[in-house]
Amino acid sequence: MKKLLFVFVLASLLLAACGGGAATEAPASNEPVEIRVWGHQAPAFNEANQKMFNDFMAANPNVTIKYETFPWDVFIQTIQTSLPAGNTADVILVPGGYTCRYASGGQLLEVPADVMTLDAAKGIFFDAPLGGQTCDGKLYGFPAEYNLEYGGAYVNPALFEAAGVAYPPAWANWDAVVEDAKKMTTIGSDGVMTVAGMHYTNSDQLFTYFLAGILEQGGNYFAEDGRHFNFNSPEAVATIQKLMDMAQKDHIVDPIIFNADSEWVGDSFAQGHNAIGVLGSWYAGDAKIGYPDLVFDYVALPPMMGSEHKFVSVGGWGYVVGKSAKHADIAWKLAAFLGADEANVLYFNSTSATIPAMKSVAADAKYVEAVPFASAVLPILDKGAYQGDLTDPDQLAYEIIYPTILDAIQGNITAEEAANSINEAANAMVDAAQ
Amino acid sequence: MAFNTLFKKDLVTETGKLTAKQRRFAYASLTPILLYMGVFTLFPILWAVVMSFFSYSPIREGSGFLGLGGANPFIDIDNYIELFTGTSKPAEVFRLALKNTFIFTALVLPLNLLVTLPLAVILESIGERFKTLFRAIYFLPTISSSVALVIIWSYVYAPGWGLLSLMFKAIGLVPPKSWLQDPSLVYFGVPLAMICVVIAHVWQDFGYNLVIFVAALQSIPKTLREAARVDGANAWQEFWLVVVPLLRRTVLLTSVLTVISSLQVFVIFQLLTRGGPKNQTQTLLLSIYENAFKFANNLGLSAAMSMVLFIIILTLTIIQFRLLRTEWEY
Repeated sequence: MKKLLFVFVLASLLLAACGGGAATEAPASNEPVEIRVWGHQAPAFNEANQKMFNDFMAANPNVTIKYETFPWDVFIQTIQTSLPAGNTADVILVPGGYTCRYASGGQLLEVPADVMTLDAAKGIFFDAPLGGQTCDGKLYGFPAEYNLEYGGAYVNPALFEAAGVAYPPAWANWDAVVEDAKKMTTIGSDGVMTVAGMHYTNSDQLFTYFLAGILEQGGNYFAEDGRHFNFNSPEAVATIQKLMDMAQKDHIVDPIIFNADSEWVGDSFAQGHNAIGVLGSWYAGDAKIGYPDLVFDYVALPPMMGSEHKFVSVGGWGYVVGKSAKHADIAWKLAAFLGADEANVLYFNSTSATIPAMKSVAADAKYVEAVPFASAVLPILDKGAYQGDLTDPDQLAYEIIYPTILDAIQGNITAEEAANSINEAANAMVDAAQ
Repeated sequence: MAFNTLFKKDLVTETGKLTAKQRRFAYASLTPILLYMGVFTLFPILWAVVMSFFSYSPIREGSGFLGLGGANPFIDIDNYIELFTGTSKPAEVFRLALKNTFIFTALVLPLNLLVTLPLAVILESIGERFKTLFRAIYFLPTISSSVALVIIWSYVYAPGWGLLSLMFKAIGLVPPKSWLQDPSLVYFGVPLAMICVVIAHVWQDFGYNLVIFVAALQSIPKTLREAARVDGANAWQEFWLVVVPLLRRTVLLTSVLTVISSLQVFVIFQLLTRGGPKNQTQTLLLSIYENAFKFANNLGLSAAMSMVLFIIILTLTIIQFRLLRTEWEY
């Protein structure tokens, strides 16, 4: 029996150890080919993608596209475990900031030069989203959109009207935004804030505006070596102090009630619990589907800490091809069809209400007509840069910067303490990764 | 006797060993389940043990067997040293999570027993029809989707307009500004957010223990309770001096099971508080999950965390087996 047990343990180890690793093979022309595409479950994205898949299959009758979508958490885990195992889909729509993580680990294929070169891509796409698909000077995918968490906010006309605030707002500077927000903040008879004048305390926004605040003042959040961070600079402290003052002195938000885990800005805005919701442009598409009766506009915000807009972005969703793609040539043909064909990109961004990564689409009147709210942020797209190698962007954003700044805004630590704490933890993260 | 002899002869040879045919049958029967257990249970456990000694991330293309080596180097027990003495954020959060997990367990256990035992006694004393009905009602949260239950509790704990806040206001009390997100609200060293999660978890989980207690109460011979009554014991004395001592084994069993399950709670924390505020409800499983799948895919460190949890649960299980080995007789 011991022998039997040994054999089965060995067999199971071998079975479990073996997997994937499918080699790229070129199909004979017209041979039926199935291309698998993975994406996350986002109604607006799926609607846009499905039409383009149908068009591709019509133009390539031997190709069948199998589109599989997953809820966000499942999607991320699936990619992370499947890519190394070599059993992913051929084309994957990966979120911003993830491409280089996988490409540097050797899990993604580089865009073939005959499909597109990096130099050509630089002329076609904005720097920030292209940076998200570039790693060590090599192009690994096509950006599908420009993730913009900065420079715009959702406004609720009913709450503006009720507070007697001019609508649509035309804010000359950040102080004007805060002044309007103060007028729209509502406190209940029990002393609890029921409407936040401006909800800016979401995790992505505190992270984005912290980095942008440093840049707007002419600072830099990277240390001289380009790997470590300089998060306790005077610019960083001033930015944290500004974020604290808006809650503690201007009282335009109660950070205990309104944050990333309570009264999340999107849901809170849809329920009329905040008048100005600072959130990425991507929310508009979801809001139109999730809250079809919601009346809102997306308007431009002035720079918070300086005289001109300066910000960084995580890039945006992009089409990549895994190293285990069975038909890499067709996979790249499809990826280019989806992410580099101007007409398709226009269709995708218009249908999903996302900000274009492609410069020509951002300048296309048809796009502005289809997504009028986006016109608020189109002028600042070329002011953005890719956020750079943050070692572990998720850990930095969600475990280090967001909770520490929220702690400061809630009044538990000073701006200096917050900056020092962020700086120490962020650099420890870099050291641990080396 | 003749039947037994024949039956025995069919099963074993005279030397007491299985025949070749019987061995083949045994192998054929055991193969599928052993393979299944090997691939889906044994291998992951062994893999986690191995990974805990490597700086391993699946997104790095290592070299050697299963990508162990190269970019995923062997680092001896550094992951364990980092967890208990390191200054990195994941290590700090791990130690806090370990403490929170013990606090959670220490709160859940007595609260669960305080709710289930009296309730089981009451259930046992009512009519059969109502007993079945209430047992089903109390067991319903246990078999319901955790996600659905968390949605219900998020409405209960919503700041300002949530059910609990409205109830407080209705009776003239001032509710806290936020039940789940105010890090300054700490009572007797326990954050309010943790207390809220404990209550929600006990509400969801007490059905299991209730069913076990009801079954245990039914197994106590009526003669013992009747004898106590004949001797002049009142209801409380009957419960405390007769029933409770006879339930010691069940209490022990439910305690160990509750402790083990409390150490493994994940969904309610992930969906209700996500470890916040300020990591006050961060637990071991949340830390393992976040380090493995959210932050830089640090599977080596996560595997070391899993091993710590594994050793804690293994120790408790051994204690459970030792304690339950005692012979009991009414």
